[in-house]
Order: sequence, then structure tokens, then C-alpha cells
Amino acid sequence: MRSLRSQFAVTAVATILGFLLVLQFRAQGAAPGLAALSAQDLTTLIANLNTRNEQLAAEVARLDVRLRDLQAGGTQSQVSLAAIREDLDRVRRWAGLVPGVGRGVVVSVAGSVSADAVNDLLNELRASGAEAIAIEEVRILDGDVVASLPGGLAVRNAALADRFSISAVGDPAALTASLTRVGGIIGRIQVAEPEVSITVVAADRVEMPATTRPLRPAYGKPRV
Amino acid sequence: MSALLGRLRAIPSWQVTLGLALLALGFLVAAQFQSEGPRIRYTTQERPPLVETALDLTRRQDQLKARIIELSDRIRELENSAAQDDELVASLDRQLTEVRTAAGLVELVGPGVVLQIEDASGPIPPDAAPGDYRVSAADLRDLVSELWLAGAEAIAVNGERITPTTAAIDIGSSILVNSAYLAPPYQASAIGPDDLYDRLTASPGFVRLVQDRVDQFGLRLSFAVLEDVVVPAYSGTIRLVDLRAAASNAP
Repeated sequence: MRSLRSQFAVTAVATILGFLLVLQFRAQGAAPGLAALSAQDLTTLIANLNTRNEQLAAEVARLDVRLRDLQAGGTQSQVSLAAIREDLDRVRRWAGLVPGVGRGVVVSVAGSVSADAVNDLLNELRASGAEAIAIEEVRILDGDVVASLPGGLAVRNAALADRFSISAVGDPAALTASLTRVGGIIGRIQVAEPEVSITVVAADRVEMPATTRPLRPAYGKPRV
Repeated sequence: MSALLGRLRAIPSWQVTLGLALLALGFLVAAQFQSEGPRIRYTTQERPPLVETALDLTRRQDQLKARIIELSDRIRELENSAAQDDELVASLDRQLTEVRTAAGLVELVGPGVVLQIEDASGPIPPDAAPGDYRVSAADLRDLVSELWLAGAEAIAVNGERITPTTAAIDIGSSILVNSAYLAPPYQASAIGPDDLYDRLTASPGFVRLVQDRVDQFGLRLSFAVLEDVVVPAYSGTIRLVDLRAAASNAP
């Protein structure tokens, strides 16, 4: 019995002893980092952190402004890019620098027609709103005139056969009405040149070849 | 002495063990309190707010640094693409200028001729058609056609640039060119090769025009060969409703 009591007492003391030992080791092991610093050191550290954070926040604000500026500028340049591309596309089509397509009319000419008559037809087509004109495979722009050569008619060094067609893109009804009205251009040509036959047919799809002429002027200097 | 030894022997061994253990316990408790002393004081008063503040500030600093890296990356991306855009805009602008020049949307200056044609000045015979003595749209068209055939590369009539869609038609006693009503005298300004005038006057078509209109009806035609003929840009609108691009093989 005495032996049991003594064992119990030793066990209790050893348990408390072990507990205190662990506590002591942990207290001494928890030193690293902020916990190891004194209040004064911590205060200095906080002041440094504050200063540095203020500098960083100022840098963030500056970068934010720069980013917003860039984003606004990016939108602007995208808008101007789209505008330039649209303009480029429109002028190219108009100036015959790209092949075109659209509804319009096909004017078939047969017989020995005069160059003046064909040029008058072209003028009438333009006056009635034709957006693009071609004679056979030649795109007709300003400067492209049907010429009367000893061997027959020619346009842009291409000889025209006795039968040829003039294609024009534009409102088919307006173009047809303008060409075929009483006293209109076809009527006048046929009075002056009775052997010439001219027919106008509306078409859903008329193809326009691109011009082959050079882009840059050879003699004039552009004043942009 | 022997009595003392006798008493010591009488102390049971477990009491000795317990006594030593309690002694060690006492040391440890004292040591523990000593090391805990200052810590308890800070922990219960100033230290936690300071430590917490320092930890908060450190976390905030990490966030700010990450944000700066993120913003810098985004800015670098945008600056790179903006530089590419600038080059693209410049390249497209050059193309547009070239295309606009080819289309007559840019003023040209160069060597060439200016032809002037006016109505007949003399009295019109009573049995004649007055229209024959006036400059008609057809006269202007013939003149312009002859200039093109002689090698002109740009022409304007009374400042109206001749474009791919320009027509010249009679409207009453005036002539409509590019939606502009022109009145006499009519001046056709043309830029072309140095021998433009020679080629023009040598052309059978031009000779016939002079015979038919000047010699026969008295229209007045004059000319000037100039070093710097100005052919203005087309100032009207480009109206395209039906014409679409057929393919993307743009020059």
C-alpha cells in the first residue's frame, strides 16, 4: 500500500514536471519573427512598412492612370483604323482599283457605231447614276475614252469588235429608263446611225474588272 | 551521528525521489515564470495590436506589389499593341493618300495646258439655230476626250475635277458637271506630258472639233501651255450604293 502511494505521488509530480518542461521549451522556441521583436522595434517596423506602403500605393495610382490613358488611346486608334480602312475600301471601289460587282445593266451594241456615240452612251450612264462602267473587260474611268482608229474602235489599247457590250453598276430601272426614254441617247444614236442596234438588259449581277492604269501620276505632283 | 544516519535510513526511498522531483519542479516553475514574464506583459497589453498592425501592413504591401506587377504587365501589352497600331495607321494612311491621288481626290500641279472655249461673239444669222453658236456639254466632252487621248493624266473644267463618274450634260444654257452648274467661258485645265499641246493639235479628232465648232460657228478657243497647271481635287461626295468589292486582291 505504501509502495502504491509512493508510485502515485511520483507519477503526479512527473506529469506536472513533463508539462512544465514542454511549456518551457515552447516558450523558448517561439522566438523568430515579429514575436521576437520588442515593442519599440515593432513600432519602427510599422513606421517603415507604412512609408513603403504609401510609396507603393502612389506607384499603383500612377500605373492606374497610365493604363486608363492607354486604354482610351487604344480605343481611339482602333476607331481611326476602322475609319481609314472603310475610306480606303470606298475610294478603291470608286476609282476602279479593285474588281467590283453589283446590280446594273448590260448595254449590247452591234453594228459600226461611232466613237462619239459610244462616248455619249458612257456619259449618259454616268449622268443617270452609274457607279462603275466597263466595256467588255476594260474598266472605264476618267481618262478612258473610246477612240476611232483606222481599224475600228478601241479603248485603252483594246480593239472593240462589231459587237460589244457595256456593263454598268447602278440602279437598273433608273439606268434603263434614262437610256431608253423617248428622245434619249439611244433614240438619237439610232436616228444618226440607223444601222446600229443597241439593247439594254437589266442584270442582278454585273461584274466590273479592276483598272490596269498606274496608281501614281506621271506628270503631276500631288498637293496633299 | 549514528542516530541521524539511522533516521535517514528510516526515510522511505519514494519520499527521497519525490523530494528531488519537487525540487526540480520548483526550479522549472521559477524558470517558466521568468521567461514568461515580459511576454505576458506585452501579450496582454501593447504587443498584439503592434504585431497585428505589422502583419496587416505586410499583407497590404504584398497586395500592392502584386498589383504593380499586374498593372505593369498590362501597360507593356498595351504599349506594344499601340506601337503596332501606330505603324498600321501610318501604313494605311500612305495607301489612302496614294489611292486618293489615283482617284482624283487630291489636287495635282504639273506641266500642261489650259484650253478656254467660249460662245460665238458675232451676231447669229436669223435662220440659224442659236444653240450651234453656244458651247454645249458635247463640246466640253469632246474637248476633254481629246485631251485624254493626247495623254492628259488629270483634267478639271472650271475647277471641277473629271472623275470616274463625272458626266457633262446641258441644263438650259449652262452645263452641269459634277453637280456644279458651269457658265462660260469654260476652261479645261489638263496636266500631261510636255508635248501634250502638240499631240492635241495633231489629233484628227481635235482638228475636226476646231473645224466643226470654231471655224463653222465661231466658238472662240484659246490656249496656254503652262509649267504649273493646277488641277483641283474632286470636292463632291462619293456615292456608292450598288457597287461592292468583288475580291480582296487590292493593289
